[in-house]
Amino acid sequence: MARDPKYDILFEPIQLGPKTLKNRFYQVPHCIGAGSEKPGFQAYHRGIKAEGGWGALCTEYCSIHPESDDTMRVSARIWDDDDVRNLSVMCDRLHQFDALAGIELWYGGPHAPCMESRHNPRGPSQIPSDFEVNTHPRYMDKDDIQLVQQMYVDAAVRAREAGFDIIYVYGAHSYLPLQFLSPYYNKRTDEYGGSFENRARFWKECLEKVREAVGDDCAIASRFAVDTLYGPASIEVGEDGVRFVEHVDDLVDIWDLTVGDISEWGQNAGPSRFFEENHEKPYTGQVKEGRHTNKPVVGVGRITNPDTMVRIIQSGQFDIIGGARPSISDPFLPKKIEEGRPEDIRECIGCNQCISRWEIGGPPMICTQNATAGEEYRRGWHPEKFHPAANREKGVLVVGAGPAGMECAMVLGKRDMEAVHLVEADAEIGGCVNWISQLGHSDGNENIFRGTARGLGEWKRIVNYRQIQLDKLKNVDVHTGSRLSTQDVLEYGAEIVIIATGAHFATNGLNPATHDVIEGADASLDWQLTPDQVVKGEKSVGNRVLVLENEGYHMGVSIAQKLAGEGHDVRIITQRGDVATYMEYTLEAPMLHRDLHRLGVEIHPYTMLEKIEPGVCHAYNVWKPDHKEQFEVDSVVLCTQRLSNDELYHELRSDKEALEREGIEALYMIGDAAAPRMIPDSIFDGHRLAREIDSPNPAMPLPFIRERRLWGDVTNQDYESMLQNTPDVEPMVVAAK
Amino acid sequence: MKIVVPVKQVAVLDEEFEVLEDRPGVDPDAIEWDLNEWDNFSVEEALQLREAAGDGEVVVVSVGDDEAEEGLQACLAKGADRGVRVWDEELDAADPLAVAQVLAAAVEQESPDLVLCGVQSSDGVYSATGIALAEHLGLPHVAVVKGLEYDGGGNTATVERELEGGLVEVLRIGLPALLTIQTGINEPRYATLRAIKQAKEKPLEVKGLGDLGLDGGAVEAAAGSRVRSMSHPDTGEGAEILKGSPSEVAARIAEIVKERMSG
Repeated sequence: MARDPKYDILFEPIQLGPKTLKNRFYQVPHCIGAGSEKPGFQAYHRGIKAEGGWGALCTEYCSIHPESDDTMRVSARIWDDDDVRNLSVMCDRLHQFDALAGIELWYGGPHAPCMESRHNPRGPSQIPSDFEVNTHPRYMDKDDIQLVQQMYVDAAVRAREAGFDIIYVYGAHSYLPLQFLSPYYNKRTDEYGGSFENRARFWKECLEKVREAVGDDCAIASRFAVDTLYGPASIEVGEDGVRFVEHVDDLVDIWDLTVGDISEWGQNAGPSRFFEENHEKPYTGQVKEGRHTNKPVVGVGRITNPDTMVRIIQSGQFDIIGGARPSISDPFLPKKIEEGRPEDIRECIGCNQCISRWEIGGPPMICTQNATAGEEYRRGWHPEKFHPAANREKGVLVVGAGPAGMECAMVLGKRDMEAVHLVEADAEIGGCVNWISQLGHSDGNENIFRGTARGLGEWKRIVNYRQIQLDKLKNVDVHTGSRLSTQDVLEYGAEIVIIATGAHFATNGLNPATHDVIEGADASLDWQLTPDQVVKGEKSVGNRVLVLENEGYHMGVSIAQKLAGEGHDVRIITQRGDVATYMEYTLEAPMLHRDLHRLGVEIHPYTMLEKIEPGVCHAYNVWKPDHKEQFEVDSVVLCTQRLSNDELYHELRSDKEALEREGIEALYMIGDAAAPRMIPDSIFDGHRLAREIDSPNPAMPLPFIRERRLWGDVTNQDYESMLQNTPDVEPMVVAAK
Repeated sequence: MKIVVPVKQVAVLDEEFEVLEDRPGVDPDAIEWDLNEWDNFSVEEALQLREAAGDGEVVVVSVGDDEAEEGLQACLAKGADRGVRVWDEELDAADPLAVAQVLAAAVEQESPDLVLCGVQSSDGVYSATGIALAEHLGLPHVAVVKGLEYDGGGNTATVERELEGGLVEVLRIGLPALLTIQTGINEPRYATLRAIKQAKEKPLEVKGLGDLGLDGGAVEAAAGSRVRSMSHPDTGEGAEILKGSPSEVAARIAEIVKERMSG
């Protein structure tokens, strides 16, 4: 089908200085864990999006010199000609699809801990980073300023050499150029500090020098946080925000606008739990609305809906639709609009699992919705192409339509298996997502900073996308409301049986802190509950509630938010130094803590329960167990650990004769049924099995390409031969350099 | 107990489709074929009656071309014992009354205790075939049945119909009889992979008009109507599409309601 004419505007070309952007879809810089050291990962991940129709794709932040080294996190680097060689692969790959390649030149100032290079970053004033621990910059005198500006120029020249079309001077998220602009960082009294013009001077000179060096050949971009959300202490959009845009507008070919800083960059990469689509509009939208620029503006805000995109363009908010997370979740978003099938868009759910991996510091990016994200090169997985399975004539039964089961059945269907049956005990498919997506709310009132706890409703997109795909797949039958017994499975007539029956919360307090049950813990009692029981409303909850949060992700605090929002008197105890520590990585923690604080939820860190009795919980400090405390409670929520629903699998597996008699050739277990895990990992597990259902031993994942340095003489072939499955991604022909 | 269940493979249209220019009909590329929703319930009801009786036979009958085979296979996979498909090119444009005439000839060859039809088909939506079939067969009939109890050894059944306002009408009917079954009367089962495979071994007979002692003339004589043309309706006037944010849209709706109420 052709695209709907109402979307034509999204496919208009835009001139960016000397370069033409072919449409209005622009992947803004975002981290993936590839940098310059995993060139295959870098090139293939960005390349998939170019194939999917994105008009421009940028690197992540790219360090211009070893003294801006962000190790323990992974940035790109363009320090020398060997980095040029590795990054040029990405440029070549993008140019094959007529997309532009952008590079985000980065100098971190105090936010660069230099743990690998052991250099010392320079900064406008000697104030340690508010993001790193105990990282002081070296004060920049005027010679240093010249030196660092030359680093930008040298890096820009190398970037042009690598083949980049768009070259950024990156300031947003409070890196060096913005540190000079912001009085929060800049306490100087010379001509680089004080007045607006003085504070803007460093950034302006950088832009002038970079433009002078490469501006005839490359588009010059700047990424700018128009409001760092610190009020008058830093950049405010109505003050220095629009003033700076006007001040250097002649020096850029495109503005890439954001809000916030690096210390709380969840205000920019807003999780859906707190921020809705296009949430930055009140800030970034002011730049064009107030006619402060004559240059094209790209902006973001987890924009996944084509109608929102059209509205943004038509209303004059932005010229170009920026996407980081939406492009990870669906690399083919533009193509699906162009082909008139917007219902196939795999919308980002705003869980920020992608970001969590950068925050953790090393692992490659993952995506809940798109299990192929990051696997384009190393596993050869394509988000939209699936070669037919060699054993497609085998009938497959998938038991359980939660995240793993839905994904597995969908991918098996796309791999052209002749008959796949997905059988679910509940009335609807979706598994745990159906109740988890009801969490994340509190009382609906404004958070004390901005936004509200709007809930995890967007997580339901996990189910919606798969439901639509499963409906389209004629070779997949979905049957709901049908709980299969061992005998039912044996007699089902499937040659391949996949168990995806999920997990449940421990009801006896078994937990990761003590590896033991808790005396008196029993969620079969009417005043003790597991989290799912709270959501499903099966039991009434008393006024004084204690939530035992041993999990470390969002479940315990989500329950606390919900109950406190409903007016209960809630306290959380956790064995860790803080609740929900993983939410630091997903950037949800700051807003979460504001909400818990506002709701009056009491948090007891380094605390564990010894015993639960009617009306009272006996707690102790984990560092000094004889330091005890008692809490009077009416209800207790046990968010301790989960256990697999694996009885069906083990019963089937224990009777090999029966399996053989009934013609079951293979039996697998995926997702939480095998081991409880986070949703993206369940979806990955289901996807992985389906991708490798015709491998010699599908139960064991095939090896993937590992882009580590190999000793001695090595060719690209040495890496690519590590792949033992048929890649669905077209390999690129790279000329030796 | 022998039950005949006439079923239909219906056309399911894509969201967007074109009508044909040379004859009444829809572009076949925009059509997918599926078993009529109501027929899932009539088949299930028949299977449950047979299972409760302990023996008997459920025969599914369909008037249709090759596409209808798939629907009959689906019924056989769920547990029907035998299938009969009737087809002749003369039936291409048959209306419900003509189809009822053909079904009558096919059902008469089976001499069933009970005939269970769906209330209607989702593509034609005439709700006529079942009742016309009862007329041809000379059987007592009840339409839009939402509850059915067979009296066991006897030859009556108690049926429930839902009327307007939630009223329930309870009737006793002597067998043999014809009932048209409403959705929701039961929870239709699904077929396992094994049952789908085994269904391919079950008898599925294909009959022409001649096998039923009919010909094109008889079918034409039975017809009550023919489709002369098919077209998309003209776009009406008076619709206003509201644009803007949810609050803007809500404000506009409130305005309109106030205008109309004061007018």
